[in-house]
Amino acid sequence: MRRIVRSEGYARARLVTGSIFMLLGAVVIVRMAGSAGLQWSAAPGYVLGVAMILLGGFRFYEYRTARRGA
Amino acid sequence: MPDSVSAKKAAEEQPSLRRSVTPWGSFSWGYSDVGADIFVGLGLVLGAAAGASNVAFLFAGLVYVCVGLAYTELAAAYPVAGGGQYFVLRGLGDIFGFIAGWAVLLDFTIDIVLFAWSCIDYLSKLLPFLAFTAHPWTHFGVVFAVIAGLAWLNVIGVRESSAFNEIVSGLDIASETAILFFGFLFAFRPEILIHTMQSAWPTPFNLMNGVSLAIISFVGLESISQAAQETQRPASVIPRTSISLILTILIFALSYSNLALGLQPWTPIPPDAHGHAQALWHYLGNEDNNGAAVQVLASMIPYYGALAALYVPVLGAILLLISSNSGVFGSSRIAYAMSHTQLLPSLFKKVHPKFRTPAVSIVVFCSFAILELFFAALPSLSPFFKETYARLFRGEDGITFLGDLYAFGAATSYSFVFIALIALRLNDPESPRKFKMPFNIPFKYRGVRVEFPIVAVIGFAGIFSILIFTMLTHLIGRIAGPSWIILGLIAYLVYRKRKGLPVFGSQKHDWRSQQAQILKNAGELELMDEYIANVKASDRLRSGEPAP
Repeated sequence: MRRIVRSEGYARARLVTGSIFMLLGAVVIVRMAGSAGLQWSAAPGYVLGVAMILLGGFRFYEYRTARRGA
Repeated sequence: MPDSVSAKKAAEEQPSLRRSVTPWGSFSWGYSDVGADIFVGLGLVLGAAAGASNVAFLFAGLVYVCVGLAYTELAAAYPVAGGGQYFVLRGLGDIFGFIAGWAVLLDFTIDIVLFAWSCIDYLSKLLPFLAFTAHPWTHFGVVFAVIAGLAWLNVIGVRESSAFNEIVSGLDIASETAILFFGFLFAFRPEILIHTMQSAWPTPFNLMNGVSLAIISFVGLESISQAAQETQRPASVIPRTSISLILTILIFALSYSNLALGLQPWTPIPPDAHGHAQALWHYLGNEDNNGAAVQVLASMIPYYGALAALYVPVLGAILLLISSNSGVFGSSRIAYAMSHTQLLPSLFKKVHPKFRTPAVSIVVFCSFAILELFFAALPSLSPFFKETYARLFRGEDGITFLGDLYAFGAATSYSFVFIALIALRLNDPESPRKFKMPFNIPFKYRGVRVEFPIVAVIGFAGIFSILIFTMLTHLIGRIAGPSWIILGLIAYLVYRKRKGLPVFGSQKHDWRSQQAQILKNAGELELMDEYIANVKASDRLRSGEPAP
């Protein structure tokens, strides 16, 4: 398990899932904006979209930090 | 000086916990504890908060983000086993440290039972002979065996159980990501979500009930800080793993609740008991499905749902099993740490000479968990106890009772942790904090520059309101929760009096030497040097000496 987690392939797989989360986040925000605009009931959807984008962004940040460390 | 030398020698001779938890191990310890909560919490929250379930998860989730940031800062600054109770002990003194630790111990022992129980419930979807309603004795026996097995696994060593967590956490994250991907891309309809929120908005009482249940879905992040003493380079590793974990768990909880309210089901929803059509959120939150809401929701996802319906019960069961395992790990580590600071008898700090794990603590708290299992299972095992429980507990069953206490314990200990964080920012500005909660107000306190954490105040207000909601909406929790604290406090006072230790006050702690030793033991030598330099600089500032 540790060998897998430390491998370059694993790091790239995390980038792929990070990208999926960013894509999903963008889709949720755009669709919520299209349907509900600035209604208060859309707030949980917007927060979800932002959190997804942040998670994806954090994975890219971690990847860059690890590459610099190596 | 000879005293410190002999103490150092004694410390070297004493077996200690092994540092074998890697970054991924640290993440998976936390994930295995928090990640499974949504499997239990989703259906319960939908049943209580109806069309506002996503708002309940959002409120509890934002509080959880504050809790997570607080734990991240504290665990990176003070990487010792014990987590919340150690931070409260250090920030607020012995008696408050005990209360916080005792509340967390309640949570962890309940965690062991509740998740082992739910694990068998999920499995029973594939193996009907394990069904609780049809075969209560079989169900009880298997849950009992699971708890005993986990106790053994933890006694033989953290490395084995950590590897177990790591593999399952990885599989579950991949699975949940796939469910969200297919759900949001192919079946999520924002207009259905908005309509459900507007047409099925709950009463304020039900919303409070929903929020207090939603916090159950976020309990367990402290596992990362429990494992801090066994984590390699904790000050660097813990912030990375915690932030990832906070975001992952928040996303899963918000995603499932939004999907439950705004999903266009791939398969038709069966009518209710009266033959009427029902909405998806209602179907997921009813008594038949609320125990396995994630599985039912996953089965309604387009394309992927047919596959998910087959494996989600297995994956859910495995994740719930490792969450139960985290309860064993967490309770034993807290007791170990509390014993070191003389909040609990020295028996709990005994480390197994061969496996170097706190074997006594593991066995004792698993025994507590088994007692709770008996309490939860009795009404289903015997009609006499069913009647007795109905009379004494106003019809609430054992598992509901455990759920109430779970929320109570978490809200109590988190409230103290926020206050401790503020106190430590003021009283221990010298300890290097590789990670700090954002949004701070700098000012001078006793001649030294400190930073007041705004987010900690917001987090405290949030978690304290959840504690109030729990007390207002859970009939048994508001009696049993404080009773647990009071009984523990009485035992603590008796123990401290017998040992000749300060009963209401605190022992004298040499926090400075301890902190330097903690950082040295953690392998954080640069931080140790920084800490020593900060202490010297603070002393100079306070005494008015000029800088060299």
